[in-house]
Amino acid sequence: MAAVQDSAIAVGAGAKGRPAARGRLADLWTKHGAGYMFLLPWLVGFFGLTLGPAVASLYLSFTNFDLIRSPEWVGAANYVRIATADPKFAASLQVTFLYVVLSVPFKLGFALLVAILLDRGVRGLTVYRAIFYLPSLLGGSVAIAVLWRQLFAGDGLINSLLAQFGIEGPSWISHPDYSIWTLVVLSVWQFGSPMIIFLAGLRQIPTDMYEAASLDGASKFRQFYKITLPLLTPVIFFNAVVQTIEAFKAFTPAFIISGGTGGPINSTLFYTLYLYQEAFGNFRMGYASALAWILVLIIGLFTAFSFLTSRYWVHYDD
Amino acid sequence: MTLRMTRRNVLAGGAAVLSYSMLASSALSQEKRLRVLWWGSQSRADRTNKVNQLFQSENPGVAINGEFLGWTDYWPRLATQVAGRNAPDIIQMDYRYIVEYARRGALAPLNDYLGSVLKVEDFDKVQIEGGSVDGKLYGVSLGANSAAMMVNVVAFEEAGVELPTSSTTWEDMARIGAEITKAGKRKGFYGLADGSGVEPLFENWLRQRGKALFTAEGKIAYDANDAAEWFAMWAAMREAKACVPPDIQALDQFNIETSPLSLGKAATSYAHSNQLVGYQAINKDKLTMRTHPLIGKDAKPGHYRKPSMFFSVSAQTKDPEFGAKYINFFVKDPKAAAILGVERGVPESAAVREALAPTLDELGRAALEYVSGLGALAGDLPPPPPSGAGEAELALRSVAEQVGFGQLDAKQGGETLVNEATQILSRG
Repeated sequence: MAAVQDSAIAVGAGAKGRPAARGRLADLWTKHGAGYMFLLPWLVGFFGLTLGPAVASLYLSFTNFDLIRSPEWVGAANYVRIATADPKFAASLQVTFLYVVLSVPFKLGFALLVAILLDRGVRGLTVYRAIFYLPSLLGGSVAIAVLWRQLFAGDGLINSLLAQFGIEGPSWISHPDYSIWTLVVLSVWQFGSPMIIFLAGLRQIPTDMYEAASLDGASKFRQFYKITLPLLTPVIFFNAVVQTIEAFKAFTPAFIISGGTGGPINSTLFYTLYLYQEAFGNFRMGYASALAWILVLIIGLFTAFSFLTSRYWVHYDD
Repeated sequence: MTLRMTRRNVLAGGAAVLSYSMLASSALSQEKRLRVLWWGSQSRADRTNKVNQLFQSENPGVAINGEFLGWTDYWPRLATQVAGRNAPDIIQMDYRYIVEYARRGALAPLNDYLGSVLKVEDFDKVQIEGGSVDGKLYGVSLGANSAAMMVNVVAFEEAGVELPTSSTTWEDMARIGAEITKAGKRKGFYGLADGSGVEPLFENWLRQRGKALFTAEGKIAYDANDAAEWFAMWAAMREAKACVPPDIQALDQFNIETSPLSLGKAATSYAHSNQLVGYQAINKDKLTMRTHPLIGKDAKPGHYRKPSMFFSVSAQTKDPEFGAKYINFFVKDPKAAAILGVERGVPESAAVREALAPTLDELGRAALEYVSGLGALAGDLPPPPPSGAGEAELALRSVAEQVGFGQLDAKQGGETLVNEATQILSRG
């Protein structure tokens, strides 16, 4: 073994000792080449599948493009129509805002609650963690949305349960007053990923703080309010930003539950669903691109606003 | 154990690989590949794949790759493939989209092959015109169908109500619907599906009034009063519990599987004659079909024979003549016709129809008789829908729901629909 190691060192020394006759570029390549090779799949993905299409869509948003003929430059016309003459844009924005405002707080609240319960040293914690995380993994999938449709349909499981109590429920998914709520419940059910992050956050809080507080006679509620919540604010902030962005981008559940129509009466017409309808239903790629950029702008504004206000309520313990 | 590889082994192996790949490539170069894309149910796919196999066995060296999707997924996929210069060679095309695709240069004109490769002389002239845009043939009709009312025979019998006939009026129908609901033989079961948002049914009703959905110039061909009367008729039906309530009707995603009839919520549904086969495949009760009700005792029915769907050849295909040959096989070969039956509608070729008639099962015969039986009852084929028609259909559905859920009254519904449809069509 020792001999092998020695010879390896010897080879290395020989290489180092060679004069730098090759060019700077080749030198860089020997130094960093392996790194770039490892990065290559990501680089290809980023430039080919993210940045490239994004730039293309920015261009297309100033054109009329029906996918078959070549795009025709129309200037800001698409944006003008969005701003002045598109009731469906307003409707879809309203539905999406409602969804964000309802689903994000409920989901985070529920995730935090479950995380606290799990943090209290439940036996078989890892199993529960896995089980509770499962819906988040499945959540975006078509299968779950189809299942949801079955559960909340007129004669689905939910109404069968209600019937036990003598209540005759409507068809939740196809009534404009309730359909958005079924989507909110679906979203809350997928609380797994913020829950895991909350759990990690809770584990970071030093236990001696609680010990000291209970010695001073602070109630459990007071401890939660004065210690847990403030120390958890960075995690809450992170979860809130991520989940808000996710909620703005929600698509699959509404697509499946309404059969792609956003109905009944536009009650599940999420912004992304409307965008999809314009792009692939009505072949207005240019207009859909403009809608997409408006969404980027809205999400950007929301995130910036969150960061600006965060300094007033997020405490970094240092 | 070690694997020893001598130089000779490697060389021999290499030679084998080389010769094999040469063989494969020469086989590939001989092989003609044809990609076929269609929408529809599994039973349609089974029939189509069988015909493709038959075509392959009669044309050695030809490989057919078939692919199918549901209606709603089909159009996005097709549009993306055409845009990506990756269009299938044979495209199933709908009357609603043929003008758009043809005018945008996505389809190959087939006139050069008429009479030589494509022998459709015994087709109904009207149906050939239906597949033509600006005087050129872009789509060969795969069959004729017509709007029809699907009826659950068992549910009618249970309720002790007579089946509708070709002289049943909408007034009769409202009474019949209410009677079935009142009979209450099944839980949560109603007489009729709510047809207020179903475009082909609305069109049929408009045609009886001497109106239409669209003019040849691509404008709307009815007014707010027509639409308001239509919505008022359905509001009365809902009131009388002749049809399903709006939250049940909203479950309908306008396919066979989610229609109130198939969901076991109503004794009728509004569809097209070729779909009886598909409806019966997933319904336990015996079904039949009827013409749509009349607006009055002496009214003329609003039906017409419509090309159910076309096969078009992509403008991007390498060999349009071969595509035309495939289509000809599909619509003219007796063996292919026997496999296809009337699932895509009643064949356009008179010879095929005659050969097919004795081989059909009861459902197939019903479809054949329905479409040919329309005879003098059938009116002219309306002009192909303008671009934006798909969006206008969604608007009808949405306004019908708003009236159904009581957000608008019938009069407001009529005005809203006309406004929205006009706006959509002006945008194109």
